[in-house]
Amino acid sequence: MDWEFISNLILASIRMATPLIFLSLAELYSQRAGLVHIGLEGLAAIGSLVGFLVSLISGSPMLGVVAGAAVAILVNMIFAYATVTLCAEQIVYGMAINIFAPALAAFIYRVYFGAGSELVQVKLMDTLSSTLHINADNFLLKLLLDQTPMVYLAYALVIFTAIYFNKTKSGLNYKAVGEYPKAAATLGINVIGVKYVACIICGALAGMGGAYLTTCYANTYVDGNVAGRGFIALAAVIFGRWTGGGVLLACLFFGFCDALQIRLQVGSSGIPYQFFQMIPYIATVVVLALIGIKKAGPKGSGKPYLREER
Amino acid sequence: MKNSNKLISVLVPIISVLLAFAIGCVIMAVLGANPATALQSLWIGAFGNTRNLGTTLARATPLIFTSLCACFAYRCGVFNLGGEGQFIIGSVACCYVATQSGIEGFPGILLCLIVGALAGGVWALIPGLLKVYRGQNEMIISIMLNYVATLFMGVVYTNWLREGNVPQTASVPDATKLSRIFGLRTTSAFLIALVVGLLIYYFLFYTSKGFQMRAVGLNMTAAEFNGFAVKRYVLFSFVVSGLIAGLGGSAELLGTQYRLINGFAAGYGFDGVAMALIAQLHPLATILVAIFFAALRVGSTTMQAATGVPTSVSDIIQALVIVFTVAGLAMVKLPQIKAVMDRMFAKKEAA
Amino acid sequence: MEEFLRIEHVSKKFGDFYANKDIDLTIRKGEVHTLLGENGAGKSTLMNVLIGLYQPTAGSIYLNGKKVRIDSPAQAVKLGIGMVHQHFMLVEAMTVFENIILGDRNTKGIFIDREARKKEIVELSQRYGLDVELDKPITEIAVGAQQRVEILKALYRGAELLILDEPSAALTDIEVEGLFDIMRKLTGEGKSIIFISHKMREVLRISDRITILRAGQTVCTLDRDETNGEELANLMIGRELTPSHYEKITQPGEPVVALEKVDYHKESKHNGLSGVSLTVGRGEIVGIAGVDGNGQSQLAQVVTGVLTPDAGRVDLKGSRVAQFTPNGFILESVSHIPEDRNKMGLIGNMTVKDNIVLKSTDTPQFSAAHGFFLKKRAIREYAEEMKTKYDIRCTSVEQEARNLSGGNQQKVILARELEGKPDLLVAVHPTRGLDIGATRFIHDTMVEAREKGCGVLLISADFDEILEVSDRIVVMFEGQVMGVFSGKEPPIQEISLAMAGK
Repeated sequence: MDWEFISNLILASIRMATPLIFLSLAELYSQRAGLVHIGLEGLAAIGSLVGFLVSLISGSPMLGVVAGAAVAILVNMIFAYATVTLCAEQIVYGMAINIFAPALAAFIYRVYFGAGSELVQVKLMDTLSSTLHINADNFLLKLLLDQTPMVYLAYALVIFTAIYFNKTKSGLNYKAVGEYPKAAATLGINVIGVKYVACIICGALAGMGGAYLTTCYANTYVDGNVAGRGFIALAAVIFGRWTGGGVLLACLFFGFCDALQIRLQVGSSGIPYQFFQMIPYIATVVVLALIGIKKAGPKGSGKPYLREER
Repeated sequence: MKNSNKLISVLVPIISVLLAFAIGCVIMAVLGANPATALQSLWIGAFGNTRNLGTTLARATPLIFTSLCACFAYRCGVFNLGGEGQFIIGSVACCYVATQSGIEGFPGILLCLIVGALAGGVWALIPGLLKVYRGQNEMIISIMLNYVATLFMGVVYTNWLREGNVPQTASVPDATKLSRIFGLRTTSAFLIALVVGLLIYYFLFYTSKGFQMRAVGLNMTAAEFNGFAVKRYVLFSFVVSGLIAGLGGSAELLGTQYRLINGFAAGYGFDGVAMALIAQLHPLATILVAIFFAALRVGSTTMQAATGVPTSVSDIIQALVIVFTVAGLAMVKLPQIKAVMDRMFAKKEAA
Repeated sequence: MEEFLRIEHVSKKFGDFYANKDIDLTIRKGEVHTLLGENGAGKSTLMNVLIGLYQPTAGSIYLNGKKVRIDSPAQAVKLGIGMVHQHFMLVEAMTVFENIILGDRNTKGIFIDREARKKEIVELSQRYGLDVELDKPITEIAVGAQQRVEILKALYRGAELLILDEPSAALTDIEVEGLFDIMRKLTGEGKSIIFISHKMREVLRISDRITILRAGQTVCTLDRDETNGEELANLMIGRELTPSHYEKITQPGEPVVALEKVDYHKESKHNGLSGVSLTVGRGEIVGIAGVDGNGQSQLAQVVTGVLTPDAGRVDLKGSRVAQFTPNGFILESVSHIPEDRNKMGLIGNMTVKDNIVLKSTDTPQFSAAHGFFLKKRAIREYAEEMKTKYDIRCTSVEQEARNLSGGNQQKVILARELEGKPDLLVAVHPTRGLDIGATRFIHDTMVEAREKGCGVLLISADFDEILEVSDRIVVMFEGQVMGVFSGKEPPIQEISLAMAGK
């Protein structure tokens, strides 16, 4: 355990946490509007593929991220229509998205590159320090400057989210939709509208989280590259107790666990690395078991909203 | 009325399948293939000869188990999304017994299957208990436990039972492998799946307890008012559904895979839930749906070889079937649409 | 006084059912206008139309003489209509302050200006004497305070008309006084109030005018000064006394069930029981009269084992009940026709035949080998027999129970509950929503069961029904027994007053 190991670990944790932050915020916005979305894995997959393709074609990773977000919004509109308008079971439909979107991503990849083609690679997004031509050679500079714009965006979004839900009128209304849609409706809040907006935000953030994987993290697309992050995001939202700050801490913690297990995979310690990977999931189950149903997130979550219900 | 409901529940998946295939055909045509030829080769690839049929049935077997697992719990009104985890834990336990106990042959097989099933049942007990005693959402918990199970299997094949340099376990002894049947490329695992399906069908529709469990699943409040032990049924359904998945994991290990390796059972859990929903929770229909999906998967390889249509088109078709069916089933339950349909059928029945 | 709101010929249909039919109502400025009616008389539906949650099927609404369309709750808020729902529309996870400003459209800016908003709210609350602690979470304040928050919420949105749906239901007597003070202050400032209540005493104290609704229609509107409690009670229940069809019994057999000082959630007046003692003997029908929501549901659920009482003792056929489980009571031959047939009585998605044998599939009659093989033919034949015996009208016994009409659904439950020769039958609102024919059939069946020595506990908000079949009448009010009256030549006046809590 020397300083280099630790500093590398911290830098890796930040890297690992970033896609989780995007996905967890996506889940947070969805759940705050009363929509439990287990389909982020799928949205991230399609976002990651589109991000990859567009940045390959246009040469601009930034454009890739935007495109990834846009396509994920489109796919999430299927979820929105099915769960908000048709009142389909949210978990079931999230699952359907999880089967559909990765299949679509894999299909587009095969069609575009043909079967059995060699691995195509793209240029990754520049970090701030390389854009500014600063030589980031010490830990602090690396931590603060040697990051892609996506990392700064992620933290900005967390701050924005915390302010939005706590300080703004619109954020308060948004939360009311997830807590008690009927009460929100009696106060003139457009419940259905907020839910659709939630799906747009959720799709955009999940798509960005996915695109991060192919534009900032790894320089290529492979099927299954989301690797369970969609579900870790779900865990992070529960573990972070449905707040922006809490979600950030949960993501950093889970990112740290992930960074640690990769280090352990390379080195040979006694403990199998998978035990560290399990932490997010086990932590979530334990948290849920301990807090009980009353405090388990927005109360309107998972339930469809019918306007003229008798 | 009853007939109209049955008709709708059959029509929705059929229309969904047709729609999905129609979209699939458009995609094939756009890719420059002749959809008719492609579909024909898909059919041949899946059922064209005994060899392909055997492969299809072998592919269908684990799916049958996981979808029966989902089907059983859902019949009692609880959503077990943890079929994959229970399947994996079952296969891990089975693998342990098969490779470590030294008991081989038929007694070994029997022991392996029982231990695997029990392990799955115990794994399913966790979400069941949290649901009944803590009121927690069984779906989220069982999803989380899927990942725990997958990672635990990782520990087993990379560490504890690792054989050699490759991260995988040793193969189960030949004497403990399930035998092939009818000279097909499928093993008695398929027969076990069929028997389990029939047993569940019998339990649900021919026994008093099964009847009561369905009543609990359809209306928990009324079931409680009528004196049924609702909590006990919920726990029971979780455990049995875990047993089914665990048995499936064991059968898959002893019949097809022989060893634990990265990617074992990946996706089977959610596939199973989707199939159970498409089959409208009917255990026998579940088996057919699982075979249908397996056929799409197996046949797509032949299709790719014959027409150049990538196998992922088949994945798209499968996904669309799920997307359409689930949306369709929700749609027919909407009050407005239901009213329209009731009127439609009322007229027909009156005529 | 000037007119504020006028409703003309408003109807609201759900499927084929009229929840409101041809309603006329005028609300003046500065008046407390009471809507009086039994449960299901259509008050809530009408209010939901007024606040834009439901769209009326027909009719028009005028505000200050101008025709308006209230197509959304936002529109209602804009027009100055605010409602305090019986089940408060408060977001529990938020504070009092946040609940009040929720959905605010009057102020500009993106951020919440806490200081400015708080100042406004404090001013408003002082003006009407609505003191609340703004920074407390909703879950930490008392029910009376939650109600004040609801009123403040409406006033903050500029409500000119305030609808109070059974506002006194959950309050203590002192809190009710406070509420009335607030109401007077509000009307003094020219605001109008629609007051929904069952409690005659309160209605007579606070109202200026009273409109009576029955079965979805307006009966009449009266000035408070021109009426009295008896007239209102009679109008609300809507009866001319007709002689009962059934002979009344005065000498019941030994008690089947006896309650002694039973408490259940005593502090809740509307969902609790407080020191309830009563007996039901063999071969008698005991009718529980009272306006809905005075503990009747809880009483029914205690004597069927669904709820466990907090204190007191329940004796079933002479021996004390130790454990309260539905199954334990079923084994002691207690039958239950629950208040909500779809939610509690039937498995709607199962067939008629399955529902008839629901409780008895374990018996040798319907299954062999201890339940391991259902005798489907025996079940079917038995169901056919019951279909004839109880005159269940369905296309076949294979039809799903949810598709039956209410009356036939109730007959399915009767067939299930009465064929086992019960010692005690607990029937809760057994004829609610049924037509005359089905109602008559169910009454006949209950009396027939009585003849066979079954004790019947009938709970109904329909006073006619109670008078028609009860051998003894017990009146409940706020979880307590207000009096026991003979069913033979019942003293109607006394009973009506007891029902109103006098």
